[in-house]
Amino acid sequence: MACTHDHSCEDHDCSSNWSLYKHIDLAKVTALNEANPGSVKSVFKAWEERLNSSGERLESNEGDPELLVYIPFTSDVKIKSISVVGGADGTSPSKLRVFINREGIDFSDAQSMQPVQEWELVENLQGVLEYQTRYSKFQSVANITLHFPGSFGGDTTQIHYIGFKGEATQLKRDVVATIVYEITPNPSDHKTRAETGGGLSHVE
Amino acid sequence: MVLEATMICIDNSEWMRNGDYGPSRFQAQADAVNLICGAKTQSNPENTVGVLTMAGKGVRVLVTPTSDLGKILACMHGLEIGGEMNLAAGIQVAQLALKHRQNKKQQQRIIVFAGSPVKHEKKTLEMIGKKLKKNSVTLDIVNFGEDDEGKTEKLEALLAAVNNNDTSHIVHIPAGPNALSDILLSTPIFTGDGEGGSGFAASAAAAAAGGISGFEFGVDPNLDPELALALRVSMEEERARQEAAAKKAAEESSKQEKGGEEQDATMTERASEGASEADNKKNEFLALAMSMDEPASSQDLQDTEMSDAAAEDTELALALQLSVQDSAKDSSSQADMSKLLADQSFVSSILASLPGVDPNNPSVKEVLASMQSQSEPQQKQDEDKAPKEEDKK
Repeated sequence: MACTHDHSCEDHDCSSNWSLYKHIDLAKVTALNEANPGSVKSVFKAWEERLNSSGERLESNEGDPELLVYIPFTSDVKIKSISVVGGADGTSPSKLRVFINREGIDFSDAQSMQPVQEWELVENLQGVLEYQTRYSKFQSVANITLHFPGSFGGDTTQIHYIGFKGEATQLKRDVVATIVYEITPNPSDHKTRAETGGGLSHVE
Repeated sequence: MVLEATMICIDNSEWMRNGDYGPSRFQAQADAVNLICGAKTQSNPENTVGVLTMAGKGVRVLVTPTSDLGKILACMHGLEIGGEMNLAAGIQVAQLALKHRQNKKQQQRIIVFAGSPVKHEKKTLEMIGKKLKKNSVTLDIVNFGEDDEGKTEKLEALLAAVNNNDTSHIVHIPAGPNALSDILLSTPIFTGDGEGGSGFAASAAAAAAGGISGFEFGVDPNLDPELALALRVSMEEERARQEAAAKKAAEESSKQEKGGEEQDATMTERASEGASEADNKKNEFLALAMSMDEPASSQDLQDTEMSDAAAEDTELALALQLSVQDSAKDSSSQADMSKLLADQSFVSSILASLPGVDPNNPSVKEVLASMQSQSEPQQKQDEDKAPKEEDKK
């Protein structure tokens, strides 16, 4: 499915397609049920390094292969497809369910809610498989939550790489940063043009 | 300064009527809750705290997580004691309350006061712990009150299941003269893993130790730190003496060892101060009397710390010499030493040599009278101790 063109990858740079990792707000990436807090950040890297398992990887707690990964982006993105590289010996995730633009999802929410899309995964140790999305639903993604309910029989779930293919827009979704709410108006906060000089109107 | 939403689970079961902590266990718990709320909201203004009760008719959420301290204090009023604590349900409801917090960016924390027996199985608690860990909820357990079969073990197992990188803690608080809240102040529950909460905790601890909010004994520690320290030390020591005297018969060895360590600390402190006030001298004398009562078990501690102190103060050297001699001999001679001390003339001669102490001072006389009465139970005690030590040998 990936690199469906029939020539080998050296001719063009496949990695440029998988460059959405640059738009991930890494500081705010969180995961639930990870064995080492913070290890989730290590799975977002360049396409060439997707098989590089010398660094850390995301692993779930012993005896519980469920994982939940929350990924915010720095700007809204459109996601065409997703690639996941799991671990060997049955520790690859078997299923993927995604939720879009929902914050603070935990396991009970994830299990009961209807995902935007879900896929049955296959062991993808070489990182050559990608899973296409229903593009119309993934048009303006500010954050995405990936829920991996189980593995292929292993005690834990390991993930070495998560990649997104698509394009980034320059838009940002939530803009409400600072708002001043007034219970009673304070005239000194509202200088009119008349007071600051210029304009014909006059406000009492 | 971690942004946190906390749910506090209070035990308001029948076991909380007991008076072995503070005015009553329930009151001690309420004080602790107030302190925790204050500390949390101070360390980060956006922190929220909620409260629920675990016993009574059932688990009931009194206040959902809020940063309004007044609401929390108000809801602690008029709480009724009764029923049995349901720890599992309490923790689960707390988790639910935290799940629906308004600000999803806050970390989730549950603080449980476990004062009555835990009737759940260890397995159940471990499963709850695992679920908390999976949803990255941290748990602090305050183990006080009843201590029956397996309660500590169950709570430790629960903590082990929840703990992720030392973010969850358990504290065991035995009954004693110190208030529940005072002891909690020094635990990681308050110091918040060594972060901003410690500022509040430190100032609260200083106030609490004096028993008065504000300046202890009317002396500003900033203006005269030595005097403030001396007064505080003599206050603690007086408390320790009374505690030791009261509990001697029942819990001899463990209590006296503790008392001995406190003494040595206070003696070295005083030696290094160099403040020579009448009160101080009297207290030194008291300390001498107390150290005479200490058993052989705490002698080693006394030896090392006393040799340091001896270099500083000549009058102290006399006292130390006496106690060192005392520790070298066996219990029978201890009795002799206390007899010697009880001898009026010897005592008053020593007192006269101390500057600033008038033997006719009524408070000094009072001290002497109390010592004499002490020496009688002391002799009985030494007789008890002598056969005990022979048994040990």
